[in-house]
Amino acid sequence: MRSLRAALAALTMMLGATPQHAEARINVVASFSILADFVKNVGGDRVNVTSLVGPNGDVHVYAPSPQDAKTIADARLVVINGLGLEGWLPRLLQSSGSKATVVTASTGVSPLKLGSEADPHAWQSVVNAKIYVTNIRDALVQADALDGDYFRRNADRYLAELDALDREVRNEMEKIPPARREVISTHDAFGYFAKDYGIAFIAPLGVSTETEPSARDIATLIVQVKKDEIPAVFLENITDDRLMRRISEETGAQVGGTLYSDSLTDEKGPVPTYIAMVRHNIKALASALGR
Amino acid sequence: MSIYDVLAAPFIEFEFMRRALAAIIALSLAGAPIGVFLMLRRMSLVGDAMAHAILPGAAIGFLLSGLNLFAMTTGGLIAGFAVAILAGLVSRTTGLKEDASLATFYLASLALGVSIVSLRGSNIDLLHVLFGNILAMDDQTLLVIAANATVTLIVLAMIYRPLVIESVDPLFLRSVSRAGAPAHLIFLALVVINLVNGFQALGTLLAVGLMILPAGIARFWSRDISGLICIAVLSALISGYAGLVLSFQTRLPSGPAIILVAAGLYMASVLFGNVGGLVRQLFPRRHLEA
Amino acid sequence: MRPQLALRDVTLGYDRHPAVHHLSGEVASGALLAVVGPNGAGKSTLFRGLVGIVKPLSGTIALSNLDARDIAYLPQIAEIDRSFPISVFDFVGTGLWRATGIFRGIGGKGRERIARALAAVGLTGFENRGIGTLSGGQMQRMLFARVLLQDAPLIVLDEPFNAIDARTVGDLLALCKQWHGEGRTVIAALHDMDLVRANFPETLLLAREPVAWGATADVLTAENLAEARRMCEAFDDSAAACADAVRQSRAA
Repeated sequence: MRSLRAALAALTMMLGATPQHAEARINVVASFSILADFVKNVGGDRVNVTSLVGPNGDVHVYAPSPQDAKTIADARLVVINGLGLEGWLPRLLQSSGSKATVVTASTGVSPLKLGSEADPHAWQSVVNAKIYVTNIRDALVQADALDGDYFRRNADRYLAELDALDREVRNEMEKIPPARREVISTHDAFGYFAKDYGIAFIAPLGVSTETEPSARDIATLIVQVKKDEIPAVFLENITDDRLMRRISEETGAQVGGTLYSDSLTDEKGPVPTYIAMVRHNIKALASALGR
Repeated sequence: MSIYDVLAAPFIEFEFMRRALAAIIALSLAGAPIGVFLMLRRMSLVGDAMAHAILPGAAIGFLLSGLNLFAMTTGGLIAGFAVAILAGLVSRTTGLKEDASLATFYLASLALGVSIVSLRGSNIDLLHVLFGNILAMDDQTLLVIAANATVTLIVLAMIYRPLVIESVDPLFLRSVSRAGAPAHLIFLALVVINLVNGFQALGTLLAVGLMILPAGIARFWSRDISGLICIAVLSALISGYAGLVLSFQTRLPSGPAIILVAAGLYMASVLFGNVGGLVRQLFPRRHLEA
Repeated sequence: MRPQLALRDVTLGYDRHPAVHHLSGEVASGALLAVVGPNGAGKSTLFRGLVGIVKPLSGTIALSNLDARDIAYLPQIAEIDRSFPISVFDFVGTGLWRATGIFRGIGGKGRERIARALAAVGLTGFENRGIGTLSGGQMQRMLFARVLLQDAPLIVLDEPFNAIDARTVGDLLALCKQWHGEGRTVIAALHDMDLVRANFPETLLLAREPVAWGATADVLTAENLAEARRMCEAFDDSAAACADAVRQSRAA
């Protein structure tokens, strides 16, 4: 009798001790690759992350597919940037009928304005990236409280890496003489980077890759580049770079390389993670402007 | 600001403006005559159809060589040819008219292109990358559209007679010569080359717009086909030049500015044109003695 | 003398339905032949077959030593795009295709010939008019002028006198006779029986199948005309495939 009760007790304890996060990982959908990278770093192997706009994609002009609606419908959490970046998203959310919680990663960021609209590229400043990560951590904890500690640990580790990255960027910026802290890039994606790290970005396209420049815009830009002797012109991985090259030729400014703003590359590319992206950008800037 | 400042200074001061003007000249010389024939053969919407039809070619070029403009343009050309020639052949050998034939092929092509792009898994908007801007004319692009214009003018001169006869009296041409079908197919090939090169250099709006609008304008000023072609070329040149000046003086983007000027000329022609203009219809001049 | 045209058991049609059914016969060189029959009898289809636009469903059409450029074909007006911006002069000038081909210019002599052709049909002064401004009769005259320029040994006219004023018909008929006098072979599809009886020595009465072919007086009898009228105009959707026996036509 006693052995049977003992056996039963042991069995119950064993059942009780079964790890209660043995259920499937939670499905998280991020609107584009940079957010997906953040989620992966915080969620680790407890999350299944899908990015709607894939590597080398353009989140400003993305056209969702029915597969995307299905992905969202199956998700527990949807992480978006907000600030007007994903114009195509609200209708997708509605049509997918998803019950997922939607998290705006940029909550708590003080937004910059660009013309009459908000500038959505808040992640370009590492300081803001930390806010993003915090928001994502909190959302994950809420969605899956049992793994709360795991998420918090990951977030702390990642935030520390971001701190180190921030210091790295500032160090590199120190090396650039103040007079040379001006560049031209395709679209106004670097406003937050410019503000936090003290470098000026000038662009012919407005906030989005959708717009087309007027001849006056280009002329003004060229005059300014020549007057201020802006040293470098940077290309982007998601738009046609012929306009930039034309400006470079007409002003004598060097083509400083490619800057990555709205999209990571895939694993085989040069910037598969956010940290890699920021590191790449600052190195490209430093080497073009540092002389 | 003097007239000089408005009309000439931008081009003297800035190289990108001079290059844009050169591109306009090449585009007008080649595109406007083609547009006249497109209009007369009731194929004015072929430009838009072609912009979509080239997608599978560009997609395959992208799959093979990444974001390489040359590969995507070549792919686009091949796809465009395939669609145009197939549509042309089907409409000549069966009872299906040209516009329906083209519509079916371009839709199929577009669907194929979208499928190819999705299979790859990348969400990049290929056409967004492929289509260029008139303010960004580099040496290579300028060379391509200049060569394109030269080839187009020469070939058009060669097929001019059969093309004209085929448009006005196709049965007659079929009864005296076998040149009708090849002339038609060569013409379609010219259309594809001009469109694809135009898209790659200047984007759809300008490439198609400067083909079709000048033809529409010319219709109101001339009754003869050679007159139509001359006026179309002239309208294209004027629209291009004025549009660039407009884009320079105001904040209008360049492509739309040029097309808006052309549209303005068109409205003026509808109202005041010699041939069938509304004002002429409402207030006809006194009839002649004989 | 070899015939200009030899038809051996020719069937022409659309979508396997015959529009001309088992036609055999010969047209001598220099003949003046009228082709008559009710609507839908296959006259236009026959002409398209002669000119090579439509391929026979069965049988053969042999043109002795003639190629495409040696036939002047006048289609019915409806097939011409009258809104096309071309002048009468240029349109008629395309008749010089045999001489100029794709590339060669028309030249001074060519322009003279065009002017003379226009004069022959009474269209002097119309050189710069757009073709869309012409009346039906003027259009027909213009097409005749083009045929004149083509200078062809075989002339095929599809209902050339439809809805045309009497004076024009008279003038153009005179041209046909002139061509006949020059030794050219002229074949014309016509509706006006009186005109045929008065001007055409040879007639083919076609009602999808040949009813009669020979001297006009023998062909245009009340009996033959009644039989032709009995022909059914519509295609029979439930028709079976035709057994390929060569039918005997009551040709002369």
